[in-house]
Amino acid sequence: MTLRKFIVQTLLYHWRTNLAVLLGIAAATAVIGGALVVGDSVRESLAQMTLDRLGRIDHVLHGPRFFEESLADRLAGSPAADGWIESVAPALVMRAALETEEPEDSTAVNRAGKVNLYGIDQRLWELTEHAETPPPSDSELILSKNLADSLDVSVGDDVIAVLELPTAVPRDSLLGQSDDDVREIPLTVKSVLSGDSGVARLGLQPSQQLPHNAFVALETLQAALDIDQRRRSSSFPNGRQARVNAIFVAGKSAVHQAGEEVEHLNDALRDVLTLADLQLRIRENERPAYLSLESERMILENDVNETAAELGRSGTSASPALVYLINEFNSAKTDETYSMYSVIAGLDPKIFTDDAKSPFGPFQFRGIAPEQPLGERDIILNTWLADDLQAEVGDEITLKYFRAGSKGELGEESQTFIVRGIAELGEAPAADRGLTPQVKGITDVDTIQEWDQPFEMDLERLTERDDDYWTKHRGTPKAFVALKTAQDLWTSRYGDLTSFRFVPPAGQSLESARAEWEQELPKSLPLQQMGITFLPVKALGLMAAGGTTDFAGLFIGFSFFIILSATILVGLLFRLGIEQRAADVGLMLAVGFSPRRARNLLLAEGVILMVVGGLLGIVAAVGYAHLMIYGLKTWWVGAIGTRFLAVSISPLSLLLGFGISAAVAMIAVWWSLRGLTSFPARRLLAGGALSDTVSRSTRRRGKPYMLYGCAGTALILVLAVVSGLVPSNEAFGGFSWTVVAFFLVGVLSLASSLMFLSARLRRESRASAWGRGVVGIGRLSRQNAARNRSRSVLTAGLIASATFVVAAVAAGHRNPAAERPDKNSGNGGFTLVAESSQPILFDLNTEKGQLQFDLDDDKSQQTLQSVNTIAQFRMRPGEDASCLNIYQTRLPTILGVPHQIIHPPDGERRFKFANTPGENPWLLLEQEQEDGTIPVLGDLNTLQYSLHKGIGDTVETPDGGQLKIVGMFDGSVFQGQLLMSAANFERVFPNEKGGFQYFLIDVAYDENKSVAKNREAAKQVRRLLESRIGRGFDSEFVADRLASFLAVQNTYLSTFLALGGLGLLLGTFGLATVMLRNVFERRGELALMRAVGFRNLSLTQLVLLENGLLLLWGLAAGTLSALLAMLPHLLTTGADVPWQMGAAILAGIFMAGMAAALFAVSKAVHTPVLETLRGE
Amino acid sequence: MSDLVVSQVAKSFHTTSGDLPVLCGADLEMQRGDAVAITGPSGSGKSTLLYIVGTLDVPTSGRVQILETDPAPLSPAALARFRNTQIGFIFQDHHLLPQCSVLENVLMPTLAGAGAGKPEEERARKLLQRVGLGDRLQHRPAQISGGERQRVAVCRALINQPSLLLADEPTGNLDRATAAAVGSLLLELCREQNTMLITVTHSTELAERFPRWCELADGKLLERKSAA
Repeated sequence: MTLRKFIVQTLLYHWRTNLAVLLGIAAATAVIGGALVVGDSVRESLAQMTLDRLGRIDHVLHGPRFFEESLADRLAGSPAADGWIESVAPALVMRAALETEEPEDSTAVNRAGKVNLYGIDQRLWELTEHAETPPPSDSELILSKNLADSLDVSVGDDVIAVLELPTAVPRDSLLGQSDDDVREIPLTVKSVLSGDSGVARLGLQPSQQLPHNAFVALETLQAALDIDQRRRSSSFPNGRQARVNAIFVAGKSAVHQAGEEVEHLNDALRDVLTLADLQLRIRENERPAYLSLESERMILENDVNETAAELGRSGTSASPALVYLINEFNSAKTDETYSMYSVIAGLDPKIFTDDAKSPFGPFQFRGIAPEQPLGERDIILNTWLADDLQAEVGDEITLKYFRAGSKGELGEESQTFIVRGIAELGEAPAADRGLTPQVKGITDVDTIQEWDQPFEMDLERLTERDDDYWTKHRGTPKAFVALKTAQDLWTSRYGDLTSFRFVPPAGQSLESARAEWEQELPKSLPLQQMGITFLPVKALGLMAAGGTTDFAGLFIGFSFFIILSATILVGLLFRLGIEQRAADVGLMLAVGFSPRRARNLLLAEGVILMVVGGLLGIVAAVGYAHLMIYGLKTWWVGAIGTRFLAVSISPLSLLLGFGISAAVAMIAVWWSLRGLTSFPARRLLAGGALSDTVSRSTRRRGKPYMLYGCAGTALILVLAVVSGLVPSNEAFGGFSWTVVAFFLVGVLSLASSLMFLSARLRRESRASAWGRGVVGIGRLSRQNAARNRSRSVLTAGLIASATFVVAAVAAGHRNPAAERPDKNSGNGGFTLVAESSQPILFDLNTEKGQLQFDLDDDKSQQTLQSVNTIAQFRMRPGEDASCLNIYQTRLPTILGVPHQIIHPPDGERRFKFANTPGENPWLLLEQEQEDGTIPVLGDLNTLQYSLHKGIGDTVETPDGGQLKIVGMFDGSVFQGQLLMSAANFERVFPNEKGGFQYFLIDVAYDENKSVAKNREAAKQVRRLLESRIGRGFDSEFVADRLASFLAVQNTYLSTFLALGGLGLLLGTFGLATVMLRNVFERRGELALMRAVGFRNLSLTQLVLLENGLLLLWGLAAGTLSALLAMLPHLLTTGADVPWQMGAAILAGIFMAGMAAALFAVSKAVHTPVLETLRGE
Repeated sequence: MSDLVVSQVAKSFHTTSGDLPVLCGADLEMQRGDAVAITGPSGSGKSTLLYIVGTLDVPTSGRVQILETDPAPLSPAALARFRNTQIGFIFQDHHLLPQCSVLENVLMPTLAGAGAGKPEEERARKLLQRVGLGDRLQHRPAQISGGERQRVAVCRALINQPSLLLADEPTGNLDRATAAAVGSLLLELCREQNTMLITVTHSTELAERFPRWCELADGKLLERKSAA
């Protein structure tokens, strides 16, 4: 006889109770281990999706610039990249819309926006996983299945790709082509890629959502976009290199070396990059002789200017210039004298002095030289203009010129200057044609009438002298101002110089200096700051696979109440088992076991159960994880939006699950043993339940301070949340303070209700059970419930905690589709939200803007009458940081907020903010930050759960800029985005395309009509705008978008509900067990009652009433606690509580609990009276 | 000096209506080999006295000394050890562990110490042989009669060769013949093992067979029959 044998024998003898305990432990282990495995699986699946999505692609260079295609070959041949690159593939990556005509109605089109259109050739195709599908050629198009489905096309069908024509000159600048910006490419579907195909999911941003991908031959796309290769011809005297905007690289290193590899790649890029890649050129000017750095964009980026100035410091003489087109020079003397369409140059004022160095100075002046320095309203005219205007030194001259607005509008502005000098035109430097960069269609035509300009000209005012000047002098400036004056008036967000002129140090020829600069300038440019850098997309994607949400934590959270129920159950069952063997424990103490040894013996039993249950639980955890992953792929697919999930089991997670549940189980076992061995052995030997009615705890009386404290704290917390004193920002681990408050209120109110029950039962135990009929039976049942108070309270607690979940989930339901447009809500009073594939330059609120899209006809105008306003936002596409993306995101899409939102014309602020100070938090976007950061606003959910940021935190932009979060929206349509003022947007992202890609449309809401009728009216606006604007303009109802965000939340709620239901099942099981135990313990008593004449019905009533009391208490405590915890939500948002469903669930729980009690009582009343009384 | 000294032992219990005195200065002295039967009406405090002597309860006042040891100041662990080695208990309800065999039940108290080795097992077998259960060693309690169960309980009480054997209504659940047999067995074993025996009983028949017989009345022990 050994202790081990004794323990094993004891465990086996009491196998029924122990099996139940063991299953409870197994359930807890399965749930915890399974949740951890779910976390691993989601992470692994996201990593696998990244690998599938990118195939062999490791690094990508992609941006708004169009490099020469040959850059790919140069990179492959670069010594710096030697040994690091396996293959390089140039490509075009464009955002497009695809359209198909409906066969029966040629005016109706099927349209898919936000399409990733890849121009590819064999080189990129080989890097992807494409399941033997050949790459497209000619006008062939390959579509991902989801895109083909949304267009309803199949192989052989015709599709039109609509995309923006790339342009070197920004569209929102004076010489930018704001119309003719779209190209339509007819294509034929050659094949459709299944969803399993890796290339069908190719994407540069980490997202598990299936993208709309389309692939077309690189050459076809280049030709359509006019960026294909051209041989030398009259149109292209030097020929033309084909261009691409993306270069994909397959590296040779393992993923963990991606950082080192991409550094080598960026070094190689710096070595082989040419000015032509950057659409820059250095022109040799013949007379006077100098070199001029110019851009095909017409304006030099500031980064380029600064680098050039740095390079030109050593011995080089430089003169930066900003030229601008003046519509009209006007003399103040008379309206008769004017000069049309002339160039003005802003130059360093020093070159107007006598000691200015050649070739940029000194200027020769007619008469007296201008006083120095030139003031900000001083102007120098050349002799031709002075004669034309009959102007003299000291006269006032008015300049009229266009300023391009952000919406493509050209507003004419004017400025008056005082003539300070008249420069001789006959010779350099005033006669320098090279000051004006070459502009195709303008500087290369003979007369002004021949200009191919993008703006309207008043040709009627054009004089012969204007044309003569153009014919003789072309773009030679007619007037000069100080460079700073020019920059103040005509600078653009793209830069503030049009050319950087320089001459090499003495002894160096122009040719050699040019070659040197062409070599050195690209190497010296801050390429990362300019967004010209390879990104290790695969490594970043794998890193992002860590996920925005810790699914292990989430599922442990979801399963919390199962774990809690299992733990209570383990404690309860173990305690019941021990109570059953109280006499054995008494015997042990009597024969000389020390209390500690006796307790350790019982603990050892618990440990064995824990180990065996835990091992069983590990096996069950794998099953549970499979079930959860299956759920995520099917029932709850809305939560993560992908079916590409596979179970991935990490032994460490299972071990961790085992460890956690073991600790939890041991706490439960320890709790169940607490105080047991301190009972007198004599009492233990007497056997029976260790009823609380005679335990020491009954002697502890007095005021229930704990009860008052818990209930009071819960109420104070609720009031604090309702009155907005509790902040909504993150407290810890992704939980906001309001969520923490929710849990605290829930736990405190549950605890106080149970304490109240305990106090009531204590009173019942001292009350008299006398009474007639049902009253008497009722009193007796209450006394019975009070006989083992802790058991009764635990049982009620088990039911209450599970009910809490069900009720809280039901109370948390929201339905934004039923919400009306309300300025102080998540929809901001807007009905529609739209995005376009190509930027739209025009103001859709104005007649002029509407005219651009043929919205000026009567029918359209009638439809547009219901549109109050259209807010147009600038957009820098980024990662999807909404709850629809479960990858970890770094920089979400950024919107530039229009003035009308920040300063609403009617003074009514739009959108609801969370924890953001000020009456109109939009104004925070315009506040200068002392630390130089850019203020941004974001949605609370995005900030909290995707970016893990709060107010005051910063987000870094790729070029190292810092965006500071100054406020948060509450449940808004801006989920997944950050918002900054349009002015800051242009400052922070000067290289982003001009125009607007994000729109919020306020459609008038008729209060007298139903939501559905209003929706129908808005649908007409939607159809009209989508059909007329084109450019991939795709709109949807704000309510629907909010609902799609909420679908994730609601799916999580469903998950919570399902798992809470499992907890409830365990709760009911626990209740049934306790009832059976109660009846079993009292079988003698019940038999006696039957013997003295109680009817079976009375006994049934007795047990059912006792059970019903605990069950009802649990249900009421859980429901009321949940409603109290959810009160802030119920009061402040569009809560849509399914009361009927909630009531039905609670009724179901009650019925199940009563059925369990009925089963127990039926066992009792069917026991033979005599044998029971004899104790057999 | 006596091997067992119970001196002026008093015990009262707290109730809602005040303290209820049960023992009021009970005295008893015994030497090894002595056997005492204690009788008295229900509620007179017989069992209370027994549990106080058995160190499972503490007196409100008074003193108990067993083999010149006062167990009162001992730590719980030391007290348990003392009880394990010096005291054996027999209860009216035998309290045999249903999961263990007859032999294992007898050996159970050894688990509180170093466990059962060969000598303990041998002793258990001999004891069981002695009480006529040599052929029932591997039987479970459910497979033997009430008298046999009580005999197993007697063996269990004697396995650690205690100096004091305490029996609380050892024949209360047995028929007359079996009760007589168990009573005789107790007295015989007590003599053989030179153990002090205190038996609390309602049975005057059993008490009369004891060399000493005390009656508990008004919280005090009155000697009704002294050893010759």
